Amino acid sequence: MKRYILYSMFLGLIWCFVHGTVNFNNFLIGALLGPIVIRPFRSLYGFENKISYMNIVRKIPKLIRFFYVLFIEIIKANVMVAKIILQPKMNIKPGIIAVPIRTKTDVGITAIANTITLTPGTLTIDVSDNKEVLYVHAIDASDPQGLCDSIRDDLEEYVLEAFE
Amino acid sequence: MNSLIFDISITFMVIAIIPCIYRVIKGPTIPDRVIAVDAMTTVIVVILGIYSYMQESAFFMDVALVLAIISFVGTVTISKYLDEGAVF
Amino acid sequence: MIEIGLIQDIISTFLLLVGAFFVFLGMVGLIRLPDVYNRLHATTKIGTLGAFGVMLSIVAKLGLEPIGVKAITVGLFILLTAPVAAHMIGRAAHRHGVGLCKESVIDEYGKEHNK
Repeated sequence: MKRYILYSMFLGLIWCFVHGTVNFNNFLIGALLGPIVIRPFRSLYGFENKISYMNIVRKIPKLIRFFYVLFIEIIKANVMVAKIILQPKMNIKPGIIAVPIRTKTDVGITAIANTITLTPGTLTIDVSDNKEVLYVHAIDASDPQGLCDSIRDDLEEYVLEAFE
Repeated sequence: MNSLIFDISITFMVIAIIPCIYRVIKGPTIPDRVIAVDAMTTVIVVILGIYSYMQESAFFMDVALVLAIISFVGTVTISKYLDEGAVF
Repeated sequence: MIEIGLIQDIISTFLLLVGAFFVFLGMVGLIRLPDVYNRLHATTKIGTLGAFGVMLSIVAKLGLEPIGVKAITVGLFILLTAPVAAHMIGRAAHRHGVGLCKESVIDEYGKEHNK
C-alpha cells in the first residue's frame, strides 16, 4: 500500500511533465491513474523487499551530493573526449578492463554502470554472471590498475552512500 | 536578432547529419550502422527542439519526445536480436 | 526587468551554441574514431550532453511554459536512456564478433568469454 502511494506520486509528477503544465489538477489525475499502471507490472517494482519513508528522506542529501559529483564528471568527460576528437592525429590506446565492484543490489549496479558510462573515457560493456566484475571499455587503457583505483575511490563511494 | 542564431544552429545540425549518413552507408559492421542511426535520431530531436522554439508551438516537442522513445526501443530491440538471434 | 531578460538571453544563447557545437563534434567523432567502441564514446557522451544543453537553453529562455516543461522532459529522457542503449549495443557487438581496433592494448572480456 505504502509503495502504491509512493509510486503513484512519482507517476503523477511524470504525467505533469509530459502534459506540459505543472499544476495540482494534472498531478491528481496522474496519481489516480497510477495504480492502474502499477498493478499489471507489479513484478518490475520489487514488491518483496520492504521500504520506509524515513529511509528515503534520509537518503536525499546524499543523492544531491551524488548528482553534483556526476554533473562535474560529465563536464570533464565531454571536454576530454572533445580534445581527443579534435586532435589532428589519433594516438589512443583503447582496451577492455575488468573492474571489481563492491555493490551488491541491482539498483546499485545499474547506478554505477550508468555513472561509469557517463564519466571520462570509460564505457560499461557487461557485468559478469556473479555480479562482482564490470567489464569497462576505456579510451586510454595504458594503466588498468590506476583506472580501477580511480573508479573505486572517486565514484563508488558516492554510489554506495546514495543507493545502498 | 535571435533568429539568426537559430538559423545558424539548425544549419549546423543539418550538416551534422552528413557524417551519420556516411557511416550508415559505409560502416563496416552492423553495430556501426545501429550507432549511426541512433546518433542521427539525437540530432533530429535537437532540430525538432530548436524548431519548436522558433515556431512557438509545443507539438513539435511531442514529436521529439516520441522520436526519442522510439529510438531507444529500436536500439534495444536490434541489440537483443544481434545478441541472441531472437527478440523475445 | 530589462536586465533579467538580457541575462536570460545571454545564458540561453550560450547554452544553445555550446550544445549545438557539442552535437556537431560528436558526429565528427563518429566519422573519425577507428572502431565501434570508440564511436560509442563519442555519440554517447558528447551527443547526449549536447542535446541536454540545447534543451536547457530552451528552459532558460521560457521557464515553466508548456514548451519548457516538455523540453526538460526530453532532455532528462535522453540523459537516462543513452547509457543503457550504449551498453546494449556494446555487449551485442562484442558477442556478435566485432573485434577491437588494432591500436587496442588489452581485452580482458574476450579472454573470459572466448567461444
